Amino acid sequence: MATISMRQLKKKYGAVVAIPDLSLEVKDGEFLILVGPSGCGKSTLLRMLAGLESVTGGDIAIDDEVVNDQMPRQRDIAMVFQSYALYPHMTVGQNMGFSLKLDKCSKAEIKERVAAAADILALTPLLERKPAQLSGGQRQRVAMGRAIVRDPKVFLFDEPLSNLDAKLRVQMRAEIKSLHRRLKTTIVYVTHDQVEAMTMADRIVVMSAGHIEQVGTPLDLYDRPMSRFVAEFLGSPSMNMLTGELIGTSGAMALKLDDGSTIALPHAATGMTPGTKVTMGIRPEHLSLATGDGPGFEVEVDVTEPTGSDTLLIGGVAGCAITCEISGRPKVAPGQKVRLAIDEAHLHFFEQESGRRIEAADLALAG
Amino acid sequence: MTMDTLDHPSQNSGSRGARRGGFARSKNADRLTRALVIIVTVVALIYILLPVYWMIKSSFQTNIDIRAQPPHWIPRQLTFQAYQDMTLVIPIWRYILNSIYVAGAAAVLSTLVGCSAAYVLARFRFPGMTICLVMILATQLIPPITRAFPIYSAIQSAGLLNSYTGIIIAYASFSLPFCVMLLRGYFMNNCPPDLEEAALVDGCSYFSAFWRIILPISLPGLAAVTIFTFLNAWNDFLWASLLLNQGEMKTVQVGIGDFSGEGGNVRYISMFMAACVTATIPALIMFLFVQRWLVSGLTAGSVK
Repeated sequence: MATISMRQLKKKYGAVVAIPDLSLEVKDGEFLILVGPSGCGKSTLLRMLAGLESVTGGDIAIDDEVVNDQMPRQRDIAMVFQSYALYPHMTVGQNMGFSLKLDKCSKAEIKERVAAAADILALTPLLERKPAQLSGGQRQRVAMGRAIVRDPKVFLFDEPLSNLDAKLRVQMRAEIKSLHRRLKTTIVYVTHDQVEAMTMADRIVVMSAGHIEQVGTPLDLYDRPMSRFVAEFLGSPSMNMLTGELIGTSGAMALKLDDGSTIALPHAATGMTPGTKVTMGIRPEHLSLATGDGPGFEVEVDVTEPTGSDTLLIGGVAGCAITCEISGRPKVAPGQKVRLAIDEAHLHFFEQESGRRIEAADLALAG
Repeated sequence: MTMDTLDHPSQNSGSRGARRGGFARSKNADRLTRALVIIVTVVALIYILLPVYWMIKSSFQTNIDIRAQPPHWIPRQLTFQAYQDMTLVIPIWRYILNSIYVAGAAAVLSTLVGCSAAYVLARFRFPGMTICLVMILATQLIPPITRAFPIYSAIQSAGLLNSYTGIIIAYASFSLPFCVMLLRGYFMNNCPPDLEEAALVDGCSYFSAFWRIILPISLPGLAAVTIFTFLNAWNDFLWASLLLNQGEMKTVQVGIGDFSGEGGNVRYISMFMAACVTATIPALIMFLFVQRWLVSGLTAGSVK
């Protein structure tokens, strides 16, 4: 187990700045997930941690020891690659014991530790096979076995599940989580799959263009995203965004959409200042088919997507795409107009220009 | 397989009739195509194999049978006499051993140097890399004969004329550009950088990652350049006759060439042919030995 500190970290490739200035602390035994769209710098950051990329500026410290100039082998880390990176000419057992062999461990110790790791990952019957004779899930487990056999200070995972099919991914997610619970080793895990991030992490780091957008527990980020980027990135289907201007009085506020229609916000907008231009966000599960006169808006449904337990209604209002997740199987046909009710307790407001979150108090000041 | 594949569209066209385009052809057209392909293949094979057949056949005939008119395309009587007698007029085994030594050493040397250079050019970026690549490529554009005098002069100045070392260095240098370019492509396309990175994380240095991981999975590529260099050196006549032409040290090509020049191909034609057949056997064995590496896909399963 170990702590990791990244202080004012910078990474440049010639004139291209991949990570301008990033600071982050990873706690001892924590499962930290770096998430973000392609090209946001999350893999670069992980590779800098591993020692596979040089550091342009700043420091990386593992257990308070600065490791900037150390080779990967000196950092006592293990890494699981997206492509598995199993040595094709070695058997599963040799793959798993390779690092121990390099450490000059005795044959008996290598055998014992490989057997223990194989036992944890149910790889014992496969120890004599070559990687080409394994399925995708088995290869993935071997890659994990190769990492855990070393008992390193830190595990680094670089999108390890992205090559697996959906069912296997769910299974491996649970296996990695249970492995972490058992080993309690610090894990830094990179993924672009927000479901993976939400289900596995102790804390999530959402990255965009080399910056950290927000760090927090999965539910913190989901319930209180600090920017429109985070709000839209986390959650599937993603959060609905409606742009408009607040109108009315502080006691009876409404959002005037770009097409001139209004959505009354009797409670959520209390204390807000009329005239503020905002983006209002609401998650699909916080919309429902209206049964009374409460706040809401009318949508013409373009597509219905039954998922079994729920049904997604997809439509648009004032040029903004709207997805509504309804429990069960409502009788709504494409082309039909429905009124959707808003759960005001779950509304989010963001500045239109910067995308930053606005609290009600900020809105009052902004006016 | 190809012909089978071609059969299906024609069968479909026969049943549906109205289908148009390249796949809709009559059975007669298919038969004609098949016949043409077979004829062209047979002619090409005859063109390639006839001299080889003539050499092998002649090595089992007497001089009289070989010169018979009309020629005996199929020997009436097989004799191994030429193989027994050839060593009396030409030290063929010594020449073959010389060739094996020279070609083998050149192949090992150029493969070792070539794979190191290719790995650096495939994996690292450094100033002047493009110029290096262009220069390596440019050496292939120069006709070999134009290098004859400079290389002869260089080898002579180094005191390596008529020595095995001199010709080994020369052969290795001729094959190096090809080895480097082929192995560079091989490393770039068949050895994912993830493997080296995994090895680095596992505790390897750059060199041990190369030695323990990259080289073992590059055996097909290494086999290709080794056999290329070996066969180039084995088949060479020009450089061997320039740089190594003393009696006992001659390579088999020069030895047979000299024997031919001394009239061996007229008076002792069956022995000459037997020597030629014998000279092809080591290269054939070498090819059969490494060809399994040429076709095996060792990297299968290493990455998704």
